[in-house]
Amino acid sequence: MHKLRDAPGDAEAALRRQIEDLAGNGRVYVLGLGNTDRADDGAGVLVALALKKLFPSYSYSEHDGVEGIVLDISEKNEHATVLFVDAADMKLDPGSIKIIPRQDIRETEITTHRVAVALMASILERAGKTAAIICIQPMTIEFRGRVSGPVRSTINRLVSVLSQTIGSRP
Amino acid sequence: MRELNVEALARVEGDGGITVTLDGKKVKSVTLDVHEGPRLIEQLVRGMTPEDDITVIPRICAICTLSHRYSALRGLEKALGIDPPEKTKITRELMMLGENVESNSLHTFLLALPDFLGYPSAVAMLNDYADDVKRALRLKKFGNHVMAVTSGRIVHGENPVIGGFGKYPTKKALDEIKLKSHELVPDAVRDVELFASLEYPTYSEAEMLFMSVNAPKNQFGFAGESILISNGKEVNVEDYKKLTNERVVSHSFAKRSLYQDKPFTVGANARLINMGKRLDGQAKDLFNEHYSEDWLKNPLYNNLAQAIEMLWSLEHMPDIADQVASMEDPPIELAKRKNGSGTGAVEAPRGTLYHHYDVKDGLIEAADIITPTAQNLDDIERHMKLTAERMLADGKNDDEVRLGLEMVARAYDPCISCATHLVTLKRL
Repeated sequence: MHKLRDAPGDAEAALRRQIEDLAGNGRVYVLGLGNTDRADDGAGVLVALALKKLFPSYSYSEHDGVEGIVLDISEKNEHATVLFVDAADMKLDPGSIKIIPRQDIRETEITTHRVAVALMASILERAGKTAAIICIQPMTIEFRGRVSGPVRSTINRLVSVLSQTIGSRP
Repeated sequence: MRELNVEALARVEGDGGITVTLDGKKVKSVTLDVHEGPRLIEQLVRGMTPEDDITVIPRICAICTLSHRYSALRGLEKALGIDPPEKTKITRELMMLGENVESNSLHTFLLALPDFLGYPSAVAMLNDYADDVKRALRLKKFGNHVMAVTSGRIVHGENPVIGGFGKYPTKKALDEIKLKSHELVPDAVRDVELFASLEYPTYSEAEMLFMSVNAPKNQFGFAGESILISNGKEVNVEDYKKLTNERVVSHSFAKRSLYQDKPFTVGANARLINMGKRLDGQAKDLFNEHYSEDWLKNPLYNNLAQAIEMLWSLEHMPDIADQVASMEDPPIELAKRKNGSGTGAVEAPRGTLYHHYDVKDGLIEAADIITPTAQNLDDIERHMKLTAERMLADGKNDDEVRLGLEMVARAYDPCISCATHLVTLKRL
């Protein structure tokens, strides 16, 4: 587990190493999930939107229709890693993050709004891609609430780490 | 929002569950519990301008976002004395076709189908049905695309406004929709054939009552000014309260509806039962081939109805796209008055959705929203109770009963629909 919220520097470097190890030398795509109407629940979308300004072909959010993006990536002839980013209640300190590899993403996700992450990750895996989910611990998911300070800080730092990773790829 | 339990993730966008209490082989009670707190959006929009209302209201749901917006637009335009231009009406039809394809493809294939085929989830189904899953994703992607073209973006698009559209789809975008929808028709036909080939358990069968809008011009469609009831009656949408009679129950935050003290069903099956004779194209042929009296008593046929309806939506898109392309962009129609009331009724993918507004001095004085899931809850519980009683009498074990109940709940495509483990069985 990484406590990006209060330990910049080493924690960021460790997180980047973990992502680099996961991704190997291939392309890295970021798919941000969540609901920006519910404060910290939109953290994944905010990470993706910030990265989209820098890497429009490698960062997508819930607003882009993630199933279609996953389908497109799965049909590309390239080695790629897809990092889903979403808020997750892990009972940790707000702003903490944790990377969950594909095999540990639970299949019984409850959703009527889009395809479950486990299914999207499985489709990617069958196409030879790597998938994982970066979870961010929220502080508040109040309807129409503001993103909390710790989560805002983590979003900024995660954007920094992921932009280095995406930018370093051929 | 996710919950993480050591290695596991769970996403909950509508928190609910089913509790079945058993005493031996007797079913003491079946309750569909909606735990998610009321969002109080009807209160939130009081005092807002109608323009602000249509921005806030779709936040109720991210998958029926355009249905909520369209229903609100219809109610508010009536209240404000606006008759929108023909091009606006037809472009709104197109956006509803997109939402229908997007939602029905997700529900039929990825939520309902695994139950019928004996898989715990769509993930487990991948090994044997990868092509079908990918086909569903292609259909969903296209539905999302049509929603984005018409409403401005996939979720909570702001382009449909009171009295018109901010911007109409370009000829190029409409030509692409025409081409792609035509290409996807064989995929939708395959879906209908697959759902028609499934075995539909009969444990939940009972006499049912169905309601849907009556689309104008004796056509099939997703909006109208009156409600058709399968008992032959027709009611003006302004009298919606006579149909829905909302009430609350102690075990759920969600409101309930009864018609003449009896539960009823809204959804794709209701639409096809009430308006199926109006279908055209291959959708009509396949409906005629696969419709039977069983649809009138078994809610599981809602899945097949959704597949047929998705085909109709795709077949209908080229004509609608042509109509939109052939018209000049009209200016936005402005409000004729600042005081008034109006009710909008549209067919969201999971059933009839009402939005009623009272507007005073140009501001929302009162709002009333009745969702399809709220209308269906009593019928879901009724059919689940029958299912549990009959399956237990038939010697089925708890796991089989649980699956049977989940299939019934999921068939209604409720907003709290979930992938698995919807049902808790309690033994006294």
